[in-house]
Amino acid sequence: MAGAPCPVPMPETTPDRFATLRAPAHWQAVDFISDLHLQAAEPATLALWQHYLQQPPAQRADALFILGDLFEVWIGDDVLAPQAQDTTPSYWRTCAQLLREHSRHTPVYFMHGNRDFLLGASALGACGMQGLFDPTVLAFQGERWLLSHGDALCLADTDYQQFRAVVRSADWQRDFLAKPLSEREAIARGLREQSEARKRGSAHDPSLWADVDAGSAREWLQAAGSQTLIHGHTHRPDQHDLGQGLRRVVLSDWDATALPPRAEVLRLSAQDGLQRLPLC
Amino acid sequence: MANPQVELHIANFGIVTLELDAEKAPLSTANFLSYVNKGHYNNTVFHRVIPGFMVQGGGFEPGMNQKPADAPINNEANNGLKNELYTVAMARTSDPHSASAQFFINVANNGFLNHTAPSAQGWGYAVFGKVVAGSDIVKKIEGVATGRKGFHDDVPKEDVVIEKAVAI
Repeated sequence: MAGAPCPVPMPETTPDRFATLRAPAHWQAVDFISDLHLQAAEPATLALWQHYLQQPPAQRADALFILGDLFEVWIGDDVLAPQAQDTTPSYWRTCAQLLREHSRHTPVYFMHGNRDFLLGASALGACGMQGLFDPTVLAFQGERWLLSHGDALCLADTDYQQFRAVVRSADWQRDFLAKPLSEREAIARGLREQSEARKRGSAHDPSLWADVDAGSAREWLQAAGSQTLIHGHTHRPDQHDLGQGLRRVVLSDWDATALPPRAEVLRLSAQDGLQRLPLC
Repeated sequence: MANPQVELHIANFGIVTLELDAEKAPLSTANFLSYVNKGHYNNTVFHRVIPGFMVQGGGFEPGMNQKPADAPINNEANNGLKNELYTVAMARTSDPHSASAQFFINVANNGFLNHTAPSAQGWGYAVFGKVVAGSDIVKKIEGVATGRKGFHDDVPKEDVVIEKAVAI
């Protein structure tokens, strides 16, 4: 299609249904990661991530896409403020510093997950990251790749979808962020305990958690003019054929303390297509 | 001075009233009113209807005949107005400054359409007004059955016709 003549004026076909990021032509490879769930209590995962970020230049991709849940929890950008007394905030500042250093040579894009959806503009700036809407189409090397965290498509989990609609509303977020840091920490702890209890009670096995709805995934892909959905969230790294030439590729979560440890990057390159690169 | 209002009389659906923000979007408002006042929108259709996203119209007659439009205008998306539910914004081509007659009504909060940077990717879509009456009518339009017609996707199977647009 490139260079095809266009004798008539283009009609007003935009806005597009989905946000689109056009990769610069010189990009040869991009990396996707998600669900690192970084937290002070798990330094080993941070070490793995640090190892990834500090790869020699020859091994680096041209851009890094973080598709949600980089952090186990994000209760407000003020956790990065130097005056915060808690020991936890210094952990967040370490993470921000690592990202900022990486962003000096490699663009870093960040999409919210269900844990770090409160990460705001000032934290993006402090980390040297550019925000991505969920979903976003990445136009790379002549193909369109649909990127999402994935939680919005797990429709069978109706309780979660209700919760999501509440916490993603501007009103809830404004009220929550107006609370003192200590109160927000307590609320976040409570929510996580509830979530853990649910997982233990109803389905400890991640394979029983709600998965991405295939029909909706197909609908998104068709609307986006894309064949491949890349997402995280479910912690079930795999590739699924959705029929009609469509597929979804699921990113791995990271857990350095699991047996065996899990940490993986999905690399998309002009030369080799999609490849999973294990880091341990 | 009160903001101008425009009624879209939509056949078999009802009346949608738009209030235009002449202060924050002076160019787009004047442009839209100029098309209204010369009758451009009379007998045009909502030709692109995507539930959960937006409904777009103002450029085609029934049968998908494109109407000639005036010169494109500068994009005012950097005016601070957001693409929120039931706001009205200018449609365009991939060139940020290419809006002419076609407009769309957001039927969701479409934050990704807002201005983020003065670049081709970041310009966003210029909001210049909002629905102040008849949002139920917009909701009905959002719900019509659509399909592919010629080179166009998401075209209502039965025409949704703006019989007339009048400044009030």
